[in-house]
Amino acid sequence: MTPPGTGVTTLEHQATGRTDSDAVDATLAASGDAHAFERLYRAHLGRVSSLVRRMLGDEDPDDVIQDVFVRAWQKLGTFRGESAFGTWLHRLAVNVILGRRETLGIRRQRHLDGDAVLESVPSRRTTPEISMDFEAAIDRLPEGARQVFVLHDVEGYRHEEIAGMLGLATGTSKSQLHRARMALRRHLER
Amino acid sequence: MFFTLASGAFAALALLQQIDTTVTAQPGQRLVVDSYGGEIAVKTWGRNAVRVEADPPSRTSVEISSSGGVVSVRSEGRRGPPATVDYTITVPAWMGLDLSGVYTDVKVAGVRAPITVETVQGEVDVAGGEGTISLRSVQGAVKLQDAKGRIDVHSVNEEVRVSNASGEITAETVNGDVVLEQVDATSLDATTVNGDLGYDGPIRNGGRYTLSTHNGDITLAATERTNATVMVSTFSGDFESDFPVPLRETRKGRRFSFNLGGGSAQVSLESFQGTIRLVRPGHVNQERDQEDRDHKGSDHDDDSAR
Amino acid sequence: MSDQWTDRLSEYLDDELPPDERVALEAHLRQCAGCGAVLADLKRIATRARGLEDRLPERDLWPGIAARIGLDTGERPVVDLDAVRVRRRVSFSLPQLIAAGIGLVALSGGTAWVLHPPARTVVAVREAPAAPVVTVANRSSVAGQRYASAVADLERVLDQGRGRLDTATVRVILRNLATIDSAIAQAQRALAADSANVYLNSHLAETRQRKLELLRQAAALVSSVS
Repeated sequence: MTPPGTGVTTLEHQATGRTDSDAVDATLAASGDAHAFERLYRAHLGRVSSLVRRMLGDEDPDDVIQDVFVRAWQKLGTFRGESAFGTWLHRLAVNVILGRRETLGIRRQRHLDGDAVLESVPSRRTTPEISMDFEAAIDRLPEGARQVFVLHDVEGYRHEEIAGMLGLATGTSKSQLHRARMALRRHLER
Repeated sequence: MFFTLASGAFAALALLQQIDTTVTAQPGQRLVVDSYGGEIAVKTWGRNAVRVEADPPSRTSVEISSSGGVVSVRSEGRRGPPATVDYTITVPAWMGLDLSGVYTDVKVAGVRAPITVETVQGEVDVAGGEGTISLRSVQGAVKLQDAKGRIDVHSVNEEVRVSNASGEITAETVNGDVVLEQVDATSLDATTVNGDLGYDGPIRNGGRYTLSTHNGDITLAATERTNATVMVSTFSGDFESDFPVPLRETRKGRRFSFNLGGGSAQVSLESFQGTIRLVRPGHVNQERDQEDRDHKGSDHDDDSAR
Repeated sequence: MSDQWTDRLSEYLDDELPPDERVALEAHLRQCAGCGAVLADLKRIATRARGLEDRLPERDLWPGIAARIGLDTGERPVVDLDAVRVRRRVSFSLPQLIAAGIGLVALSGGTAWVLHPPARTVVAVREAPAAPVVTVANRSSVAGQRYASAVADLERVLDQGRGRLDTATVRVILRNLATIDSAIAQAQRALAADSANVYLNSHLAETRQRKLELLRQAAALVSSVS
């Protein structure tokens, strides 16, 4: 229990009787508790930041990371605790990332057909930092293939979910994943 | 679009008075005209004097006076509100104007001084003006040309048009277009709710240009050599450009910015659901004229019918 | 190594092939060392992807987030946060709002502030220094009430005095108020789906400001013909 006089109490999760610190902080933050929201931010920043960076490729992620947490603050009232807070936040982050990708009549190649995707990732350079090299290779994947790869292989979403999020056919999601993996083969340690 | 009478009918057989009065204009004086309805037409001459010509009906009196910094012309009803009076007023070009009315059309030509016009149901057409220029109408188009200074043109239900003008410009309406052609604005604030915006003029280094509409398109003249940071904001609109623009920055939804040239001027283009276009100079009104031709024959609500 | 089989290797790895195709592919793998090598590579990639570590931002983003959602981080005085908000909105006709004497600056979340003339500081609902947490609910209710109150006052003046205006003028004013109301409603609906959208927030505030200005203009007209 917290000391008296601070105005903050420890809440019990009513449905299961166990204390979930994320759920508690989400409830507090929804009522305006800035410190609770900051705790949530710090606890989940790594995962959100990683998702944003990898989905955006080589674009500056900081603004989008901020957008995610600002949106989370706004939507806290909709978090019901039915899933883990991290899961809820992660899905919200994906929505924020994808929501900003709509173009304004300017065409960009998102989902390349044929072998073009295999040509766009440069061959592996010799560098001792293999994992950074791997991350860099992911960054350089074409946008559509990168999004599918990050959502499936890095974040663990199923193709049906990815297809729904990106507005693709499930088959397209599968073929994009395969092409991304094939392009990344060059960066494997041998 | 012309005025209508609020009350009473103008009897064609009413006795008309003929007024033709000239008063001396002292340097620094300004002309103030308060007219209920009719037309105020102001032109200039080389004399330091103000000539007022009018033909008010008998139930309306016209008072002309000169005192302090003001030459005043005012119509008063002998019983009830004044009837419509058409004024033709000739002034020295240096004389500032302050013209107001309700059912009053205002036309000014040749004045090189500050001009303020306010009317409710009337058109405003000013050719001239220097310094502070403020033109306002509710139901009436507002048109300004050959002016320079701090320019503020407002309508509510009609178009606002500024041409061959320079300075700091604010142009606003609610239900109409804002058209700015051959305009050299050092700062610009052009807004409408239900209408298009067009600016065809130089973008000055260090200038600030804001064009904002809800239900309309924005067409801005620019080239690759324009020095501006352009921020484009829309909810469900589109962006087009006659030339490639370097879109490298992070784009959050439908809000993004890019630099042209050195990025010196600040340009903000906002349309909730219209198309935002960059076109080459001289082509702004081509888009507009084409759309006018496409929409010719659509219904136009004539508010003058009562 | 044939493309037909290579292209199915990811689905095989993820256990997403139909049973008959799985059997056929496994039969092929027993004969094709090349496909076997590719499959091993794909497995390593997927494994490596699952094991990627979190990447934190290079700088602390919390101050920026706190400022955007209007939280006092305790690192800056209250008035600086408001100045930051005002500066962020300068490009959206703030001089026009100040010149009007009463203006609206929107915050994320679709709330509206009433910006007093420059002689006074911006309204901030911070009742006591000992209570650093300012809730969005508090702020939006105060600012929203002020806007609604101003609109109601002006609408009352117009309603009571419209008999003094001719019907054509009244019709023009009402029609344009309806135009603005429609724009406000569209902006509000858009904001409901994207409440942190900077453009939508400022667009809503500016459109509300247009409504206030038109109502003031109408009220002034009523007064001038009384």
